[in-house]
Amino acid sequence: MSCSSSEDVPDQCKDLFTQDGVLLKACIGRPIIDLNSIGMLCIVQNVDGGKCIEWRPNDLITIDSDSQDQEWAVVHTIGRRQRTLSGNMTSDYAAARARIIRIQIDELKTFRMTRNNQQMQFSTKPGVWQNTFYFQHGNAEIFLASLKNYVKTVKTRHDRNTYVVVEPTNEAQALNRSFAELDIFTENTTDVVWNLVSNFKQRPYETTLEAFSKLTDIVYYGNEGLNGKRDVSDEVADLLSKSMSALEDNTSVTKSDDYEVISVKPTLPPRPCIPRGAPLSTEKWEGLLDPDGRILEVDGVRQLIFRGGVAHSIRHSVWKYLLDYHPWSYTHAKIKSLQKKRTEEYFTMKLQWKSMTEKQESRFSEYRERKSLVEKDVNRTDRTHPFFAGDDNPNLVTLEDILMTYVMYNFDLGYVQGMSDILAPLLLLLGNEVDTFWCFVGFMEKIASNFDMDQAGMKQQLLNLQLLLSFASPDLAKHLASKDSGNMYFCFRWLLVWFKREFSHRDIMRLWEVLWTGLPCANFHLIISVAILDAEKDVLISGDYGFTEILKHVNDLSMCLDVDKILSTAEGIYHQIISAPHLTDQIRIILGIPTVGGRPEPEPSSSEETNGKTDEQSDMEEVMYQIGLDMNF
Amino acid sequence: MSSRKKVLLKVIILGDSGVGKTSLMNQFVNKKFSNQYKATIGADFLTKEVIVDDRIVTMQIWDTAGQERFQSLGVAFYRGADCCVLVFDVTAPNTFKSLESWRDEFLIQASPRAPENFPFVILGNKVDLDNRAVSAKRAQQWCQSKNDIPYFETSAKEAVNVELAFQTIARNALAQETEAELYNEFPDQIKLNANDNNRNRDGDNCAC
Ligand SMILES: Nc1nc2c(ncn2[C@@H]2O[C@H](COP(=O)(O)OP(=O)(O)O)[C@@H](O)[C@H]2O)c(=O)[nH]1
Ligand SMILES: [Mg+2]
Repeated sequence: MSCSSSEDVPDQCKDLFTQDGVLLKACIGRPIIDLNSIGMLCIVQNVDGGKCIEWRPNDLITIDSDSQDQEWAVVHTIGRRQRTLSGNMTSDYAAARARIIRIQIDELKTFRMTRNNQQMQFSTKPGVWQNTFYFQHGNAEIFLASLKNYVKTVKTRHDRNTYVVVEPTNEAQALNRSFAELDIFTENTTDVVWNLVSNFKQRPYETTLEAFSKLTDIVYYGNEGLNGKRDVSDEVADLLSKSMSALEDNTSVTKSDDYEVISVKPTLPPRPCIPRGAPLSTEKWEGLLDPDGRILEVDGVRQLIFRGGVAHSIRHSVWKYLLDYHPWSYTHAKIKSLQKKRTEEYFTMKLQWKSMTEKQESRFSEYRERKSLVEKDVNRTDRTHPFFAGDDNPNLVTLEDILMTYVMYNFDLGYVQGMSDILAPLLLLLGNEVDTFWCFVGFMEKIASNFDMDQAGMKQQLLNLQLLLSFASPDLAKHLASKDSGNMYFCFRWLLVWFKREFSHRDIMRLWEVLWTGLPCANFHLIISVAILDAEKDVLISGDYGFTEILKHVNDLSMCLDVDKILSTAEGIYHQIISAPHLTDQIRIILGIPTVGGRPEPEPSSSEETNGKTDEQSDMEEVMYQIGLDMNF
Repeated sequence: MSSRKKVLLKVIILGDSGVGKTSLMNQFVNKKFSNQYKATIGADFLTKEVIVDDRIVTMQIWDTAGQERFQSLGVAFYRGADCCVLVFDVTAPNTFKSLESWRDEFLIQASPRAPENFPFVILGNKVDLDNRAVSAKRAQQWCQSKNDIPYFETSAKEAVNVELAFQTIARNALAQETEAELYNEFPDQIKLNANDNNRNRDGDNCAC
C-alpha cells in the first residue's frame, strides 16, 4: 500500500509503495541470469522529486537499514522493515545494486496487466514491452492502483487491461486519493477531454473514434468524481457533444461491432470488472506493526483487507482491530493492560447473572424469558459444524455464557434472534471467551439497529435497498414492485445477520472482514445485496417469478453463492452508481458520500432528469406506503 | 366448482419462538426430525401435495420467526391464508398464554372475509417430553371457548399426531378455499344475496 509519509523528507528519495514477491520475467538488455529472480517492485520518489518504478532483487533488499549509503538510508520505514524479512546479506553490494531496474515514470508510455492480473508489463517505447514482472502472490492490482496515483492513464478499448499514460499526475492531488476511490472507468477525464479536443483535428479519425467511444461515457455519464464536482467544463462538454453528433452521423456507416451504441438517456456507466486482491498476509501484517506494536497505516490496512480479506492465520489478531476491541494506535503494552481490564469487566458481568439464585429468577420474568430464548437458540446454532455439533458440546455453553453476559452488558437490547448467528463464527475463530465477547460487542455496535424493538433499522435498510436497486438495476426493481415484493422482505435474513445464513463459515469470515472495513462506502452490504439480486435478474424476470417464487428462489440461494465473485460485482456496481450522472442525493446519503444539495443543481438542466426524480420520489412514496401498511408504521 | 382446477392451500404456522413450528413443518413435509435445524429468520415455506376427499391439493406451509419484534415482518405473509395453525409448547405455559394474541394478531393482519369462521387449528407440541406444564384439559377448554377450534397434541420429534393434524388442517383449509372460490367465481350471485355493505365493497370487481 502506499505509505503517505508523515515524516516528509523532500530532499531524499523514498519508497512510495513496495510490493514484495515480484519475479523479473523479462527485461530487454539484461543478462538471462537475472530473469526469474525474486525481488521487490517499488514506486520510488527520486531525490529530484521525480518518480520511478524500481525493481530490486531480493539479495539486495537485505542490506542493513543502517547503511550509510545515502540513497538507501532514507528508504521509508515500510521498505526497511520488509527488507529485514527476506533473504540473506550479500557481499557484493555494488554488483547487486547494478541489477536494480528503474523505469522513470515520466518516460512510461504504456503498461498492461496480463495473465489474470498476475503479470505487469511496462513500456517506454511504443511497440516494445521492455519489462515484464510476475506477481507471485497474484496481487498486481494493488500495485496498479498505487501506480495510478502517480500517472494519468486511459484504458484502450480493445484491451481493457492496457493503460496508456496520459501524463504523470501531480502528487498533491494523488496523495489524497485512496485507490479504492480511483475512478476506474473514466480516468482523469478532464485531461483526456482536453487532449482530445485539442488534438481532434490533427489526429486521424480512426484513432480518435476509439477514444471517443470512451468519451461518450464521460460526456453522457458525466464525470462526477467522489468529490462531487464536475470537472468537464460546460464548454468542453458542449464542444464535444457537437463533435459527437457529427460523429454519430458517421457511426452508422463506420461503426463496427467494437464500438458501443451511443445512448443519450441517463443510464449507468458500464460496470467495471474489479478483480479481488490477495488476502492480507502474515508478513505484510507484521511489517505494518511498528516496533511497539502500533499500526499507523490504518487506512492502508483497511484498503488491503477490503481488496482481499485477511489470511486465516492472522485473523484472530486482525479481527480485534476491525471490531474495535483493540485500538489501532495502541502499543503492545497498552493492549495488554486493556485486555486485562476487559477480562475483569467481562467476568464481573458474567458473575452478575451467574450468581442469580433460582428464587431471584422466579421473580424476574423478563430475565427468565431472555435466558430461555438464548438457550433455545444456542441449541439451534450451527449444529452441523463440528465445532458446535453433538450433545453436551462445551462450545455451546460458551456461546450461551457470552450471550447471557451480553444481556447484562446491554440489558435494554437484551437477546434478539440472530445474535447467536453473529456470535458463532467469532467464537469459532477466536476460541477465547473474553476476546470473543468483546469482538461480539464491536460487531453488535455496527449492526445494533438491526435489532431495534420496533425494527425501524431493518425497515430503513429494506427501503434503502429498494432505492439502491431501483437505481442500479431498475428493471429488476420494477419487476419486484409489480410482484408485491417491492418491500424487499425476502432479503430480511440477508440483512439481519449480514448474510450469515447464506455462506459457509469460511466464506462468511471473508465477507464480514471486508464489510467491517467500512469501505468503499457506507452500507456496502446493501450493494452486496444488489449484486446478488442483479445476478438473478434474468431468472426472476424471464421466469416471471411472483411473490412466493421470488422468496423461495432467494432463500434457496443459500450456500450457492460465490463470495469473491459477489464482492467483485458489488464493487463494480458501487463504481457504476457513484459515477452515474443522474446520481441523486438520496443515494449519496445512503452511501455516506457528500451530497451536492448545498449547491443548487442547475434546475432546468434537463426536463428528463426532473421527471426521473419525480418518478423516483413517487416510487419511494409508494414503497413507504407499502411498508407502512405492512408494518403498521 | 371444478375438480380439474389445481388447488393451492396456504397455511400459516404461528406461535412463540422455539415451540417447534419449523420442526412440525419439516416432520410433516419431509418426514424428518433433526435437532440441527436453525432458528427461523425471516420467512420460508414448504409445499406438499396431499389428498383430501379424493382431491389432490397442494399445501403451501408458511413458517416465520416467532420473536415478538419480528412479528411485524411476518404479517406480510399472512394475506390469502386458508388456514392458520397456532402452536404452543406443552412444557412452556407462556407459549400457551400467547395463543390468544397470536390469533388476534392474525385476524387483524390477514383480515379474512369471515373472521368468525376462519379455520384455526391448535397444536400442543413436544408431548414427548415429561416436564409437561399445560394439561390437555386446559388446552381443550380454551379451544372449545374459541368457537371449537380443533386441538391436537403432537410431537414433531416422535412424529406423534403430525400427519393427522395436517390432514385436518388441509381439510379445513380446503373448505375455506372452496368458499373463497365460490365467492370469486360467482361474484354476481353472491352479490345478489349480499347486503349493501358487501355490494359496495366489491362493486369494482364486477365490471364484467
Ligand atoms: N422434545 C422435543 N423437542 C422439539 C419438538 N419440536 C421441536 N423441538 C425442539 O425445540 C426447539 C425449537 O424447535 P423449532 O422447530 O426450531 O421451533 P420454532 O422456533 O417454533 O420454529 C428445537 O431445539 C427442536 O429440536 C418436539 O416435538 N419434541
Ligand atoms: Mg422456526
